[in-house]
Amino acid sequence: MLSRLFRWWRVVATGSAFTLFGVGGLFAALLFPVLNYVPGSRLERETRVQRVVHWWFRGFILYMRALGILSVDVVDAHRLECDGGQLLVANHPTLLDVVMMGSLVPQLDCVVKSSAWANPFMRGVITAAGYIPNDAGEALLEQCALRLRDGRSLLIFPEGTRSPKGRLGPLQRGAAHMALASGRPLRPVFIDCDPPALMSGQPWYDVPSRPMRYTIEVGEAIEPPELGDGVTRGAAARELIDTLRDFYQERLQDQERLQDPT
Amino acid sequence: MHSKEEIFKWVVEILGREFGFSLEELRPETHLIDDLDMDSIDAIDMAVRIEEKMKLSLSEEDLQSIGTVQDAVDLIHGRLD
Repeated sequence: MLSRLFRWWRVVATGSAFTLFGVGGLFAALLFPVLNYVPGSRLERETRVQRVVHWWFRGFILYMRALGILSVDVVDAHRLECDGGQLLVANHPTLLDVVMMGSLVPQLDCVVKSSAWANPFMRGVITAAGYIPNDAGEALLEQCALRLRDGRSLLIFPEGTRSPKGRLGPLQRGAAHMALASGRPLRPVFIDCDPPALMSGQPWYDVPSRPMRYTIEVGEAIEPPELGDGVTRGAAARELIDTLRDFYQERLQDQERLQDPT
Repeated sequence: MHSKEEIFKWVVEILGREFGFSLEELRPETHLIDDLDMDSIDAIDMAVRIEEKMKLSLSEEDLQSIGTVQDAVDLIHGRLD
């Protein structure tokens, strides 16, 4: 009885959180164009917006934690700080992954699903923050490599969409090509949500039987090889993605073992 | 005048060297996307190597017409003819 009550509480609390997020998005859509009038280059304005987004996301996660919807544990968080920019490459099990990462990293360029621009609650924010649509083709690669070489941090989900439940989706090689083109390292990030929630196709009100426990593990940097001398872009990209896949698969298997020791 | 067998060997050599595919993976019916998981950047790299090796020019339409290894061989053979 008590556990059912707590679950209903979390449904209401989750609803309030999503409402808050939507209202925040609309408010940001009004506020951010005003920030554009503050002097500075386009990149400076976008960074300013990203820092506001960072604090907003931090506040949002704090709100969800305070209401007992979720808890967050970040392993090796110090690895998120990097002079000279880095490419954060994360798996994508839940709807909150971008918010989680944005709450941890003050300046974060993001490659975002292009359909997000059709969402009125998100369009204003992602445009002002300078996020990059994932359907920009070869130009996407160049744009991201340029930002990385400029010392910026960039987040990408190589699955391109949310993971299938408990598994890793196919990994696209865009992140590997960005690392090769920029010479900047790949920093793998493993995101786990236990019990699974807010997955692809799952409605927000399908709240699990207990609070979600988010674990975010920041891995060691993977340096891209230098091209030339028999090292080709195609082969190097495949090798980088294989290393990344191994990183995620090991951790998914660890999680499986923890949940089902038999 | 180059035979299709010769062109097939060149294509296999290019794909093996550029992307690390083994000879066993590269048969005439091997599909570049479905079997080898090649993407748009791979297609560009493959096209550049083919153009360098065979001294010809490939358009975007040419690349889009290539589904299998054999398609690439046939296209190149037609161009060199």
